[in-house]
Amino acid sequence: MKDETCIVIENRHISKKYYMLKIKAPYLAENAKPGNFVMLKASSGLDPLLKRPFGVFNTNYPFTWVYYEVVGKGTAAIANLRADDPVQVLGPLGNRFPAFTGKNILLVAGGRGIAPIHYAICDYAPANNVFLIYGARSAGDLNLVEELKGLGLKKMFLYTDDGSAYQKGFVTTDIRRIIADHHIEVTVSCGPDAMFESLAHEIGGIGTENWVSLEALMGCGFGICYSCAVKTTADEYKKVCSDGPVFKMEEIAWQKQ
Amino acid sequence: MAKTIDLSVDLGFIQLKNPIIPASGTFGYGEEFQAFFPLDILGAFVLKGIYKNPRKGNPPPRIHETAAGLLNSIGLAGPGAEELKKIIKRTASITNTPIIVNVCGESDEEYLEVAKIFDVMEEVSILELNISCPNVKAGGKCPAQDRDHTFRLVKQIKENTQKPLMVKLSPNTHDVPAVALAAQEAGADCISLVNTFLGVAVDLKKRAPVFKNVFAGLSGPAIKPLALKLVWEVAKTVSIPVIGMGGITSGKDVLEFVLVGASAVQTGTINMAEPCASVRIIKELEETMEALSITNLSEIKGRLKL
Repeated sequence: MKDETCIVIENRHISKKYYMLKIKAPYLAENAKPGNFVMLKASSGLDPLLKRPFGVFNTNYPFTWVYYEVVGKGTAAIANLRADDPVQVLGPLGNRFPAFTGKNILLVAGGRGIAPIHYAICDYAPANNVFLIYGARSAGDLNLVEELKGLGLKKMFLYTDDGSAYQKGFVTTDIRRIIADHHIEVTVSCGPDAMFESLAHEIGGIGTENWVSLEALMGCGFGICYSCAVKTTADEYKKVCSDGPVFKMEEIAWQKQ
Repeated sequence: MAKTIDLSVDLGFIQLKNPIIPASGTFGYGEEFQAFFPLDILGAFVLKGIYKNPRKGNPPPRIHETAAGLLNSIGLAGPGAEELKKIIKRTASITNTPIIVNVCGESDEEYLEVAKIFDVMEEVSILELNISCPNVKAGGKCPAQDRDHTFRLVKQIKENTQKPLMVKLSPNTHDVPAVALAAQEAGADCISLVNTFLGVAVDLKKRAPVFKNVFAGLSGPAIKPLALKLVWEVAKTVSIPVIGMGGITSGKDVLEFVLVGASAVQTGTINMAEPCASVRIIKELEETMEALSITNLSEIKGRLKL
């Protein structure tokens, strides 16, 4: 991990509040692994003060891509970045998705959770049978479908909560049938907490190996501030940034925090 | 450089190579930062506050960013004193920079027990007494909110330990200089201030406080003017060294705290936002001193012209 000033190559508006940031970050691009995240800040100024965490969408030396949604002043400042602007980059951070070969893997993404899942697809598709369930609130929240098509997925299942595009439903709507039909052995998911809670309810304990990549409010990103606590089933807190962000689904206490 | 800049600081009981001391809770246990820069460049560093037993900390959310500031309600999560001893041995093996242990307690007895544990560790240079911990027997009030309690506690620690004692004051009391004086009278070797200012964040959608404990501690650049005022008032009141902190992010900020009376400073929230901040601040401090023709911090300490 390194803390450095990098250069924005492109900051493309995708839809609604979603953007794709491309930065020239050689160290990051060389060292990031699928599942890792980065902390970004638009300037060295003091407001916003802290960097914000983002799952890595993809890398191709010397470039890194970050797909993000504007949710507050930190991400709004990042959305204002233009080509050639400096950006503060700390990374790569956190653990990675486990490596698999010859498995039937189901990836599940909710909304902006597609970012690290995209990187996982790139990693898994060459040596595994990879399926994707991708859901979002409505049409404008379900982006990058064309990009996903070229990644070697065996099959892709797309949903919107309101039915404004693709199938109306949630990522959990048909998940048990999909797992059975395609003999899924492993699931890897990323999305909002509510999605994880439904997922844990639907597929926890049905025999698949389930991994999740969590999102949390973070202060530092490298384990020193203890802000990103998540409760485990052992009734302890773990740090999403340095113990995760990738955890076994069974390890997390989903209901109450 | 025309003149040689001397960044060293003499606190009387210890000599520091420079005045930059990362503050408790913003620097982990030190070792995490070795990946970013050698710990040897620092004046000293303070470990995350420690109680006798492991503590889980508060339920999330634990932080909320404000305008140029940060509210936190971490709840002093930590591994307990025995585990920290092992960590300190590890950290001490990678640096010669003085290590400061931030001593916490839910009762005066626990404060003393924790202080004694680290008092006998040769790897520890200074004990910082965190008197902002809610005290079970005082109905949740912290010692720092009561000059008599502060006096009793500091006296008890000083009578039973050998190491230099830094007493860290809370700004959340009406007469901070009086509490500082009580700490000095009880034998404190130096004072550090300020801890975080209590504040409230509101979740408009839920019409509820953001934090389950309602109050949280505000840090970062937003509190710098408030911290400067209190450091100035305390430095005028006591004769022992004062370590100033509150929103320091630059070499210039360091000099401002020295001008109002600080002998050295602690850096806090900036360490989270920018892990290499210490490197930059030390460099900026040297450059700013040269630009202002200051060769040693003692030349300007407390020399604010009125």
